[in-house]
Amino acid sequence: MLNFRMIAQSAALTLGAALVSTAAIAYEGGAVAGGGSIKGTVKFKGEAPAQEVLDVNKDKKVCAVGEKKSNELVVGADGGIRYAVVSLTNISKGKAFPEGESILDQAGCEYLPYIVIVPTGSELVIKNSDGILHNIHTYSDKNKAVNRAQPKFKKKIKESFAEPEMVKVTCDVHGWMKGWLAVVDHPYYVITDEKGAFELTDVPAGEYEIKVWQEKLGESTQKVTVAGGAEAAVTFELAAK
Amino acid sequence: MSKADEEKKSYSSVFLLAVALLLATAIWIVWDDQISRRPWKKYQYEFSEMQIDRAKAEVTAEQKRLDDSSDYQTVVEELREARQGTEGGETGAAISELSSREAAARIVFDDADFDLRLVKSQIEEAWYEFEHAELMHVDTTGPKHHLEELEAKKVATEARVAEAQARLDQILNEKEEIFSVVETLEKQKKEMESGLGRLEQNVEGLVIPVGPFEFPKIPKIQQVVLNEFDRNAYNQPLARVDRCTSCHTGINKDGFEDAEHPFRTHPDRKLYLGTHSVEKFGCTPCHQGQGPAVNSPEQAHGWVKHWLDPMYQGDDVQAGCIGCHDNVRIEGAETIALGEKLFEQVGCVGCHLVDGYGDLPKIGPYLRRVSAKVDADWLVDWVKNPHEFRPRTKMPNFYFDQAEAEAIAGYILASSAKEGEEWLASHPAPGGIDSSDAALVAKGAELADSLGCRGCHGLAPGESPALLGDSKDIAPNLGNIAEKANQRWMYHWLKNPRGYSPEARMPSLRLSDDEAKALVSYLGTLGEPAGSDDAATRDRLLDADNVAEGEALVRKYGCAGCHNIPGMEAESRIGVELSVFGSKPLEELFFGKRTDIPHTWKDWTYNKINEPRIYETDRIEQVMPHFALSEEDIDAILVFLASRQEAKVPEAYKLADRQREQALVDGLRVIEHYNCVGCHVINDQGGAILARYEENPSLGPPILNGEGAKVQSDWFYSFLKQPVPLRPWLKIRMPTFGVSDDEARKIVEYFAALEGIDSPFVHIDQAALSPEYVEAGKLLASVDYFSCYTCHQQGERKPEGPEEGWAPDLAMASERLNPDWIVEWIKDPQALMPGSRMPAFYDFSDDSPDGPDDVLGGNDLEQVKALRDYLLTLGSMPVAAAPVVADPERVEPAAMDQGTDGTASSETSNAAAPETVQVEG
Repeated sequence: MLNFRMIAQSAALTLGAALVSTAAIAYEGGAVAGGGSIKGTVKFKGEAPAQEVLDVNKDKKVCAVGEKKSNELVVGADGGIRYAVVSLTNISKGKAFPEGESILDQAGCEYLPYIVIVPTGSELVIKNSDGILHNIHTYSDKNKAVNRAQPKFKKKIKESFAEPEMVKVTCDVHGWMKGWLAVVDHPYYVITDEKGAFELTDVPAGEYEIKVWQEKLGESTQKVTVAGGAEAAVTFELAAK
Repeated sequence: MSKADEEKKSYSSVFLLAVALLLATAIWIVWDDQISRRPWKKYQYEFSEMQIDRAKAEVTAEQKRLDDSSDYQTVVEELREARQGTEGGETGAAISELSSREAAARIVFDDADFDLRLVKSQIEEAWYEFEHAELMHVDTTGPKHHLEELEAKKVATEARVAEAQARLDQILNEKEEIFSVVETLEKQKKEMESGLGRLEQNVEGLVIPVGPFEFPKIPKIQQVVLNEFDRNAYNQPLARVDRCTSCHTGINKDGFEDAEHPFRTHPDRKLYLGTHSVEKFGCTPCHQGQGPAVNSPEQAHGWVKHWLDPMYQGDDVQAGCIGCHDNVRIEGAETIALGEKLFEQVGCVGCHLVDGYGDLPKIGPYLRRVSAKVDADWLVDWVKNPHEFRPRTKMPNFYFDQAEAEAIAGYILASSAKEGEEWLASHPAPGGIDSSDAALVAKGAELADSLGCRGCHGLAPGESPALLGDSKDIAPNLGNIAEKANQRWMYHWLKNPRGYSPEARMPSLRLSDDEAKALVSYLGTLGEPAGSDDAATRDRLLDADNVAEGEALVRKYGCAGCHNIPGMEAESRIGVELSVFGSKPLEELFFGKRTDIPHTWKDWTYNKINEPRIYETDRIEQVMPHFALSEEDIDAILVFLASRQEAKVPEAYKLADRQREQALVDGLRVIEHYNCVGCHVINDQGGAILARYEENPSLGPPILNGEGAKVQSDWFYSFLKQPVPLRPWLKIRMPTFGVSDDEARKIVEYFAALEGIDSPFVHIDQAALSPEYVEAGKLLASVDYFSCYTCHQQGERKPEGPEEGWAPDLAMASERLNPDWIVEWIKDPQALMPGSRMPAFYDFSDDSPDGPDDVLGGNDLEQVKALRDYLLTLGSMPVAAAPVVADPERVEPAAMDQGTDGTASSETSNAAAPETVQVEG
């Protein structure tokens, strides 16, 4: 009996807190009891292209640390695609957003990480670890386009985005720099690792549509059924357009 | 019948009939006068009822809102309680006690006050006694003593008054405190009810109360009088009276958008009525119709026989704009703007004179040297039907038969032979053009793509980058140019269009010989070269009889209206003048034998443009050619022609700033003549070529919205005369148009007028710039702060990396940019040029400081001004050799810029000194 009360109270509390903080958003986050998970890989169909080597032609002292390669399409040895974004498209209730802030760092004239997940309305912390001038120039349809300078003396700036969308980020000072912000309105988003693998945890049991997005290869969706306590497997195959 | 019988005869039935008839007539007269011929009364009653119902519904809704509002109910309840409290119990007792104390205090105060006034008059008297004694030279001690006594008494009495006043005030304050709760609540309640009160007043304003009944207001004619708007036949001013609002009751009221006609709100009330108050402009100046008529809708709208100005509906109303607006390129006048543009540019002005449009340059190509340009067989086919070769050409179809076409081609070739030969003699055939050399053709194609040719020309059949209306191209489509023009001509034309035609609209792209050769090789692959025997055809066409016949045809069909043709310099326009065509009565329009076309001005004109020879009869020949315009384009031209009215609008109704209007009209004509909007977005129009640069808009031609506020007029003028590359990273090239002084001035004034700038002059006094600010700006621009030179060029000092990553030369700022604009630009670049690569260093949308706190006290705005001041000094900086810096770390950035230059390239600096110095120096 005690257990039930505790669960109910904490659930109500988190739910309340989530409702207050995300009043405008349809997604309801809270504790997920008896959820399952989705595990899978995103694979490249066909012969994998080599990563393009980037021409670092400016501020070389800071930027030319090791060879830089384009992250636009990174295919691992076994055909797994790195930097694909996998998400559920039709979920309105589930786990809460993980704690902690989203960080995009500019280090060695690269965006680290290449893709950052940013919950809508939350603050993205943009760091400049290089100590030279960078600028954050975003390209988006739904959000306001941002083009802010981050000179040497500004180690940290903050930015937030209202609408879920994949937002491209570039630096006009250093033409090769590119990154992405995955602005999301629920926490079931994950970025594939170097083997193309991903895992979505604490998914309430049910039927979902699962989507993969890759900047060069486009999008693809599948249906997936998640049972409580079980692990659903999904494999995406994307071919060059 | 006897006389007696006659007298006895009864006429009562006749009388009765007559009386009945008279009565019926009287009733009919009253009915007709008061009701049948007063349709507006019914409308006003109906509208009144509609308004009353709405107003009452609003009152009810507001009442309900208050009843449901817990805030309001709380206030009402609290007020009730507070009032009750003052009437009884402890508070009640306190109030009555205070009241009796107040009465007592008032008596004390009044007594003291009376005593004071008494003392004051006694003092007056004592003064008199004293002064009198002095003048009489008697002893003044007594009066003086008396005076002193009274003065002392006055002081004492004043103290008594003050004390009594204080006492009274205290009591009043105590009372007020008790009542203040009630008063505050009453005020709150009143505020909450203010909306309701207003709504109730609305209802009261709409009805006439008679005892317990309410009646709608008695309808009456509503009218707007425009004094001296019209002129009679003797040119005396007449007032115009518009009574339209007698029926169109809701036209200038919000909330009747969905009501039925005639009650409906104006469909674009805010735009049209917001800027043209009904009280000043009435309705018919824009809409036409019969303003004073109220007897029937048909009469009022002018839809009756012999009324010359039937009401305009839909977009036709825009014909009214141009009476007051010289410049119709404005919101809400899009149709007439298109009509005007088509009329100017399709070639109508070549044959038809219209006031204000008489001095436009000829629309067609220069034919004085055309024998050096075109293939003779092509020319015959072209004259016969130009739409066959280029469906979207502006050149119209004259329906010539083969013989006529050959005669005209013969005359054109013969008349241009002399000047053509001379031109050929000085423009030899260039070597190195080869349309079969794939690499050369590919290079040409790449140039055609990147230089900006597509800002004006389509390079494949069907490609139309620069649209003139719906159905025409501004510049020729070059998809089959090889069939038409020879490569020798193309080469010299591309190199210098004005060298062939002094009137050329085509600009020079400052091509190198190799570039021109590559482009011509590429153009030679577009379409099949004629391949016919040009010389043989020429021989045949140049037959003297043929040429003479051609000359007559060229004269008859008015070719010289659009083309500069040798021998035709003195020709005048062959068409009817259309300056007042919109006022042309129906009787003067010749319908020929066409009975199937409705007899209206609009139908006549539409059909005339759509099928120009439609009214031709055996006796009456017609020569107007066929322009193949879309229905939409013809409609726009109709609106423009309808606007050509005899009646002129009085000055008082026109826009006040005529000079600005004129600048906008004149400037836009030049801009459209050279199709600047093919590449640039100007006043939010044009820039179609930017669609090719979606990936990276900064590689496309710059957007010129707000250019008038951005650049200095002197600089702009010189730039137009002789463009210099501002953005070295662009492949697209600002061409040299060879604009005349007058044209350049008009363009500069146009941009200034767009921004509402009266005086476009800027003077920068270098000596007046604060050295403190210049130093601060220099520091801010340095690598430790904003690091401007990471991207910006400064004279010979170039940024690192490839050119496409560069930004404009800051050394040009002082002579190019407007100082105020520099401030606005640095404050928020995206606001002035969305998508710009220039990032925002500040965020002025909030108060928090964004700039470094150790420069100018961390004040953002002052820092921006400092950057501006610094930029203004750049162009005038002395150029000297780069100093050798032994220990760059010790050099202050401010000191380092002194006397530095850009001669040290980034590579040398890189090798010589650490990063900081290289960017700084």
